[in-house]
Amino acid sequence: MEVNVTYETQHLWTTWFAVYLYLGGLGAATMTITFLTDMYLKSHKTLAIWGALTGLIMVGGGSALLFIHLANHAAVVHVLNPLAIFFKPDAWIAWGTQFISWMMIASLLYVLPYMIESPIIANLPFISSVLKTRVVCGLGSMAGSGNIHKILGIFSATSGLGVAVYTGLLLQSFPAVALWNNPGVPILFTVSAFSTACALLILVMHIFMGRDEKDTLLRGLYERADLLLLATELLVVFLFYMYLTRGSISARVSAELLFHDLGWLLGFIGLGLVTPFLLELRSVLSLGHGQGQTHLPTVAAAVFVLIGGFLLRDYFMAAGIYVYPT
Amino acid sequence: MTRYAMLIDLNTCVGCNACMAACAIENQTPVWKNVWRTYVHDQEIGIGDDVRRRFFPRLCNHCENPPCLTVCPTGATYQRADGLVLIDDNLCMGCGACEMACPYRARYELTYTDIREGKVFYGNLRRTSPGYDKCNFCAQRIDAGRKPACVETCVGEARLFGDLDDPQDYVAKMAASGIAQPLMPQLGTRPHVYYINEMKRDV
Repeated sequence: MEVNVTYETQHLWTTWFAVYLYLGGLGAATMTITFLTDMYLKSHKTLAIWGALTGLIMVGGGSALLFIHLANHAAVVHVLNPLAIFFKPDAWIAWGTQFISWMMIASLLYVLPYMIESPIIANLPFISSVLKTRVVCGLGSMAGSGNIHKILGIFSATSGLGVAVYTGLLLQSFPAVALWNNPGVPILFTVSAFSTACALLILVMHIFMGRDEKDTLLRGLYERADLLLLATELLVVFLFYMYLTRGSISARVSAELLFHDLGWLLGFIGLGLVTPFLLELRSVLSLGHGQGQTHLPTVAAAVFVLIGGFLLRDYFMAAGIYVYPT
Repeated sequence: MTRYAMLIDLNTCVGCNACMAACAIENQTPVWKNVWRTYVHDQEIGIGDDVRRRFFPRLCNHCENPPCLTVCPTGATYQRADGLVLIDDNLCMGCGACEMACPYRARYELTYTDIREGKVFYGNLRRTSPGYDKCNFCAQRIDAGRKPACVETCVGEARLFGDLDDPQDYVAKMAASGIAQPLMPQLGTRPHVYYINEMKRDV
């Protein structure tokens, strides 16, 4: 039926939800990358512990943010039930909750043997005494044994990938908003999650692992991976521009909001994608890696990527346009 | 089989808002914050001297393919065999995904505060837990063989209630004829609320 329409953004899932999506994607992808690195590239217990703890804090923090915003906190038990994905296989929040829950458990078990051995962790108050208890030691030795350890690692890494994809699929399931309801969103969010995770790991390795020369190859690998991911992200953003500017009313209004906003253009695309892409390209091409060269550009690129990752999600939530009949 | 649907004739809606009042009392909606299960938009349409007033009642469309149902992670939103899309208050955790998914802005949040205020406002509030709420086509009345409150109270008979699977039903005939049309059918939600648009006429 022909009716008048209004274009409206939503005021329900705002910046706090962008933080949830950001922390969820970043934390999960960090965990996935570090575990895959530890299992298949180079055994690196410190990095695995960093990845797991970062992932746990970020995903846990994001989930807590979502929990706070629930209208009925007691009913959350229904979505924590592992059978939820059988009752509601079409609901991405059900899948996401299960991915997050199982990823957190499996990742903690995966790094438990490492944490028990780690001299740094062993000196932390309270945690050291927990790690010395019989139950935890038993769990650690069980989780650390050959096949079980590998299964835990693969399970965590797969669940982490699931969480990263879920953050995009969740938005994709809202049909009224053209910006969200398309297959580009899960791709963009997944690529961004892994790009920000690479950036975070580069940052962590530079700042907290003392530029260990043994990790040079690994840092270079993360940088190259991030470069490819940033290039992919730029391509997907360009595809979004083409899709939105030639799409439905909802899409066109979203395009106007995004591509006429300096925060999106200069903040996300300029600072969050193009600048780190150029800085990392320079680094990968070894243009600035002579003797005595500073690592500042690499660190700055990583920080910019992390800022860009959040801006992407915040702008995406803010620019979703509903076309309501009035 | 029965598939309930509502027909709204924009030519006969006089904008008295009796439907809103009847619905609010029947379903104990949080009127103190100007939130309703059904709402009548009061619009001025046209430009210059050629302006007319139109009343446009809105409510949950009880879609055959409801996006609010597919996104609901706990199964709180469910669909009955007769097409009614309902909410199980006890299962709803109030994540808001249903509100985000609804293209008709039919859902609203009930907070802990609303439950407290509702007890004061209505005395005996049936709803005990916060979460999301929306029109249920007055399922409790339909099950008792009655019409939805808004339909029963409508003075202009702008709202009619019927069964799409009954070929003799007026609502089914109007929907099948194409005279009555749903809102935003391009989204594929297949709404069960049909509208007869205003006839073009001189002011």
